[in-house]
Amino acid sequence: MVGSNGRGGPDEVADVVIVGAGASGSVAALRLARAGFAVTCLEQGDYVDPSQFPGDKLEFELLAPKTWHPNPNVRGLADDYPCETSESDVNPLMWSGVGGSTVLWAAHWVRMLPSDFRVRSLDGVADDWPFTYEELLPFYQEVEKEFAVSGLGGDPAYPDGAEMPLPPLPIGKVGRKGAEGLDKLGWHWWPGPNAIASRAFGNLHACGLRGTCLTGCPDKAKASTDLTHWPAALDAGARLVTGARVREITVNGDGLATGVIYVDRTGREHRQAAQVVIVCANGVGTPRLLLLSKSSRFADGLANSSGLVGKRLMMHPYAAVVGFYDEPLESWLGPAGQIIHSLQFYETDESRGFVRGAKWQIMPTGGPLGLRSGYGGAPLEDRFGPALHRNLREQLGRGFEWGLIAEDLPEESNYVTLDTTLSDTDGVPAPKIVYRNSDNTRAMLDFHLARAHEAHAVSGAHKTVETKLMRDCGWHLMGTCLMGNDPATSVVDQWGRAHDVPNLYIYDGSVFPTSAGANPTATIAAVALRCVKHLIETRQNQEVPA
Amino acid sequence: MTFDAVQRAAFAALADVLVPAAEGMPAASEVDIAGAGLDRVLRARPDLEAPLARVLAMRTVGDAMEQVRGAQRDDPVGFEALALAATAGYYTDGRVRELIGYPGQTYDASRVREPDIDASDPMLRRVAARGPIYRPTPSAGTRAAAGSRAG
Repeated sequence: MVGSNGRGGPDEVADVVIVGAGASGSVAALRLARAGFAVTCLEQGDYVDPSQFPGDKLEFELLAPKTWHPNPNVRGLADDYPCETSESDVNPLMWSGVGGSTVLWAAHWVRMLPSDFRVRSLDGVADDWPFTYEELLPFYQEVEKEFAVSGLGGDPAYPDGAEMPLPPLPIGKVGRKGAEGLDKLGWHWWPGPNAIASRAFGNLHACGLRGTCLTGCPDKAKASTDLTHWPAALDAGARLVTGARVREITVNGDGLATGVIYVDRTGREHRQAAQVVIVCANGVGTPRLLLLSKSSRFADGLANSSGLVGKRLMMHPYAAVVGFYDEPLESWLGPAGQIIHSLQFYETDESRGFVRGAKWQIMPTGGPLGLRSGYGGAPLEDRFGPALHRNLREQLGRGFEWGLIAEDLPEESNYVTLDTTLSDTDGVPAPKIVYRNSDNTRAMLDFHLARAHEAHAVSGAHKTVETKLMRDCGWHLMGTCLMGNDPATSVVDQWGRAHDVPNLYIYDGSVFPTSAGANPTATIAAVALRCVKHLIETRQNQEVPA
Repeated sequence: MTFDAVQRAAFAALADVLVPAAEGMPAASEVDIAGAGLDRVLRARPDLEAPLARVLAMRTVGDAMEQVRGAQRDDPVGFEALALAATAGYYTDGRVRELIGYPGQTYDASRVREPDIDASDPMLRRVAARGPIYRPTPSAGTRAAAGSRAG
């Protein structure tokens, strides 16, 4: 395979077919197209014009929890596939469309820390990654320019201080109030790095702190790969097919992938032949597709000789403490987005009764309807009537959230499989999620919640409200196609290549050996870049079907 | 919208139970909750129409408060639709927003023109002065376990 831009149309053999146009698929498509490969990307959803996002509409808070909800089971759009979650503590969240979940993400840009790549060596649990922080660092730095990351260098949580290409976004009254508490306690904090442009940058406009990042940015200030990567990838010759739901990866008698079968929005089936298949369909969609791709040669699903496809699902349990203050803080302002973050309790301290840790970040609390949601289940008299007005006066614009992203360790009892009854609108079996929090996770959350109450108290909060575990928090879908050196105990190698199928690659969060306690998109993009550069560099040696 | 005058009157009465005139704020019905407010809500969220209609059709002995309590007890989904329609219609009204001091989610490029924080901030200098808090990548000897799987 040498790469030959210009081929790869619907009736031709593409050099590479990519499944999914989200963070990892976009990074890969751009590099491959620029290197001259005929690359076709199949995306089950469509483009969203930023003018459709609800953030600049009067009815924003009404639209956000339904049409733009991150849970596909709530949205129920034709582009989505449902997820069976009755045996899960947490709902998986995602967006199907060009840009993938970067369309709705909060854009927290968090590199993992050095210890995250050496969990087994340092803490005696889980696994080490096949490479180190230092080896991944140049790829972080390269993608940070593409994702327009704003932040302040010098953070002592990182060996190199984590300089970012754009100046930081303002921390505002909310960030300063939170920082004051941590300052008194002598705890770490730093302005939060975000993939949100603090200055006009490439296709992105400067942020104006609208604060509606989680439902898509109507101002084109948040980095989503439909804006940051796809225009350049298409200019370089990549082909992007939307409304294309891939239901199977096909293989030949030699055990090589030959392409994919996908269903368009009219229900018509197509075949896209390719020399190389790269799956970038997230930690739920990717194992689903491999498990769907059974054949006589791969009876347990494609690339699954280890039995680990779908296993070791990690979703980052999320807890939060909202504090309310006497003074007005304008806490509906963005970014949303992380305003400041703290890594004070990120590293292992076994005296706490658990291993690993969590990242904290401050996020705004939004408008009046968002505040109301905190009263779900309360007695009528506490939610409505005169109490409605009193609560609003005390809380609107006067609170902020310390959110806690806890590292969950990989366990084979947490997994994605195919549901036996539920299917998507094309009749393709839906994924079933089985996911429970471990004792280590519960102890970690309890510790961090107690510290977050403490932080609010020292900052001067007169009241705190705790969410022990947010059910709709499964943004970070990781671990279900483990990356490792041993084919018997992992699914892909350090370059994302399936051990069992030498021309099948996985570049998304599925490959993470551990989850870290940090938002994964920075690492997903950096790992995808590292993998695709290796594929391009070694193209002459790539085995392909005859 | 399909709601008729009788339904809208019923909605106004129930909305006033949830959002009464109190604490210096107007009641829901004082800001046209059953007219423009309800239209605004249902345009954005047509999925609320059916559960809301169900609650409005409930036959309850007693006053509006009893009907609200009955909905909460017997039809929680319908009750939440009623509550959302009432509060959303209310808080998207311009007069109400002015009274509560909420401008909505607005864009203003001037908010980010200059960072309000840099490394010279005294609090940040104290963070930096406390030194690194990360655990470095262990030495090559320790890395003998690299790539190994947990048992």
